[in-house]
Amino acid sequence: MRGAPRRLTRTEARSARAASGFLLPFLALFLLCFIAPIGYALYESLLKVERTGPLGLGGETKQVWAGLSNYAHALEDDRFTAGFGRVLLFGAVQIPVMIAFATGLALLLDAASARWVGFFRTAFFLPYGVPGVIASILWGFLYVPGISPLVEMAHSAGWDVDFLGRGAVLWSIANIVTWQFTGYNMLVLIAQLKAVPGELYEAARIDGASAWQVARHIKLPLIRPALVLTTVFSLIGTLQLFAEPKVLKPLSNSIDSGYTPNLAAYNEAFTSNNQHIAAAEAVLLALVACVLSFGFLRLVGQRGKDGESG
Amino acid sequence: MSDTARNRNTWTHGTPRRAVLGGAAAAAAGFALAGCGSDGDGGDEPKDRKKGEKITLTFWSWVPGIDKPVALWNSKNPEVRVKVEKVSAVDGAQYAKMHAAIKAGNPPDLGQIEYPVVPSFLIDNGLLDLTKYGVADHKDKFIGWQWQQSVFGKAVYAVPQASGPMGLFIRQDLFEKWGIEPPATWDEYEAAATAIRKKGAWIETFSATNGNRFAGLAWQAGARWFGTEGDTWTVSIDDEPTRKVADYWYGLVRRKLIKTIPDRQNAWYKDVQTGDMASWLGASWGDALLVGNAPKTAGKWRVVPMPQWKKGDAAYANWGGSTTAVFAKSKYPKDALAFAIWLNTDPESIKLLIENGYGTPGAKQGYTTSQLDVHKDFFGGQEYSKVFDEASKGVDTSWKWGPATDTLYQRLGDAFTAAIGDGSDFRSVLKKVQSQTITDLKEKGLQVKAG
Repeated sequence: MRGAPRRLTRTEARSARAASGFLLPFLALFLLCFIAPIGYALYESLLKVERTGPLGLGGETKQVWAGLSNYAHALEDDRFTAGFGRVLLFGAVQIPVMIAFATGLALLLDAASARWVGFFRTAFFLPYGVPGVIASILWGFLYVPGISPLVEMAHSAGWDVDFLGRGAVLWSIANIVTWQFTGYNMLVLIAQLKAVPGELYEAARIDGASAWQVARHIKLPLIRPALVLTTVFSLIGTLQLFAEPKVLKPLSNSIDSGYTPNLAAYNEAFTSNNQHIAAAEAVLLALVACVLSFGFLRLVGQRGKDGESG
Repeated sequence: MSDTARNRNTWTHGTPRRAVLGGAAAAAAGFALAGCGSDGDGGDEPKDRKKGEKITLTFWSWVPGIDKPVALWNSKNPEVRVKVEKVSAVDGAQYAKMHAAIKAGNPPDLGQIEYPVVPSFLIDNGLLDLTKYGVADHKDKFIGWQWQQSVFGKAVYAVPQASGPMGLFIRQDLFEKWGIEPPATWDEYEAAATAIRKKGAWIETFSATNGNRFAGLAWQAGARWFGTEGDTWTVSIDDEPTRKVADYWYGLVRRKLIKTIPDRQNAWYKDVQTGDMASWLGASWGDALLVGNAPKTAGKWRVVPMPQWKKGDAAYANWGGSTTAVFAKSKYPKDALAFAIWLNTDPESIKLLIENGYGTPGAKQGYTTSQLDVHKDFFGGQEYSKVFDEASKGVDTSWKWGPATDTLYQRLGDAFTAAIGDGSDFRSVLKKVQSQTITDLKEKGLQVKAG
């Protein structure tokens, strides 16, 4: 395709026009709903407020250029940075566990006889239909000592659990997230499994492969793209963790206002009322999510290529 | 832009103008001044209601039963209808909503705002200076220090509604059964905590995230967290009185004489219902809370004064209490103010508010102390409001709130949470929050220094 630019033929020009006809509504919405808010957040993150008047009260408030000082402030605030460490730890444990569960369930349902498959698929998927806030309230009741039957049972068995304690609460949140999203991820994996051509299984059976061998050597490698996809979604979801800690916060003395970066940005915006710093934090959060998801994609992409050549 | 212009006028001209003109005329002058800044469309500008014109004011509140006095107002004032919109008071959600509404330019006309939070709305130019509308004429109807909580410079930003003088709710039956005297001093409180612990129960909880109550405890000990020097705010959270309070509670927490679960949440209510917690250092509005959430313990509770640092002292503190404020964008500030004054001074309105448990009235008249004993039977016939009334007289009235109290509470909550988690002492909390608060105020573009 190198060389001098080629003139479009008439048909090509027409189809380009048609394409733009389809593209324009999308582009308009994309600009309005995606690029504009990001641009606004970037713009807000570069401003700060100056106040005048006695004690800064009742006078004029002006927005002035702040350069990168909001970013500097966000990065110096250990409430914000500690949240990142926490969600990364959370992701490092919760994502593999959840993906492993989802894969296991998907493989089981794919291998099972047709009778109950539909029922179980729906049953596992059902928690995804429960909004995050409701799920957190529901589990919150199961965590609170004095009310929760789980805690009561554990206590009567002589086990002193505190689901909302300092060491445990992160994993109590992980439990809610896993409960909610395992079924969803499972469904994505099943969809990919269904796309595997039947001849492969037939060939494997003729070669005398056991069910386990089929799963290990045919199914798993073939659903790799779906595994990568669900992992990236989970990675982004982890960084955006918000509803669960927000709902559990009043119940637990172990969740602070910067428990996750998203919560810190929310509190900066709505409790402390510093929209500019909140905007800077939101931009930083988006950057980290970008770097991590693309980094992960690159990493598995590289490995994939190595695998193919090896 | 025009509302900032209006506020600037307040500072320079507000008071002298009021001094010259009478109430209603001053209000008209206020409109005229405000009108100068507008470029003609007048959409957001306050209006003088035409005679016979029917308007609706919105009022964001979370006070239980607030709809009853409002319904009474509506039946008496068909032209100025007030519509209550209930907002959640969990975790400061109501203020987040109000701040967001101010930022978005569509706040309600009136809002329920607690004393500590009034200044944080001022630095956003969120509230209207009511002096232009003749609020000063009503000053004498309210208890002095409560009135003072909304006065900054020469401007008055809100109408007092109620306060929450603090006292100790105790389970008389349990204290008697165990042979423990209600504590009159903090030393006795500690001894009682130890004795109750030996019986397998707890005296109560130190809730890390309850900055309001901790502020009350510091307030009682003589702390002054915020002050002003000229145009500069001073912050003194890490001062001697507060350190004394912090050391005391750290001692109780470290020796496991007190629980550390959050208060006024399900687990706490459960403990209150079962008697696992035998007391609660609460505020006057706490009576309704106990009645509503532990109905089966009726008759077993009493109220005793808050423990003192020195035997025989009478230093008390205030927890909560709120105002009815008029938002800067209200189109009919005169009517909004009239409603706010009526709501908090009219005897019938106060009666309805008391019945639903809103605290100790900010108005001097229109009620008698005995009227506050709405739940007398629950407290075994005790005239418990007398305890709170006495406490009200012993509140250090020079305490002032700073402009970022909600952030401060969050900072305290975070630092106490961390300290309880890793066992570090509470003085470290004060040190941390002191420097964070100075940074927070600077971040808001204010001049600030350590007090």
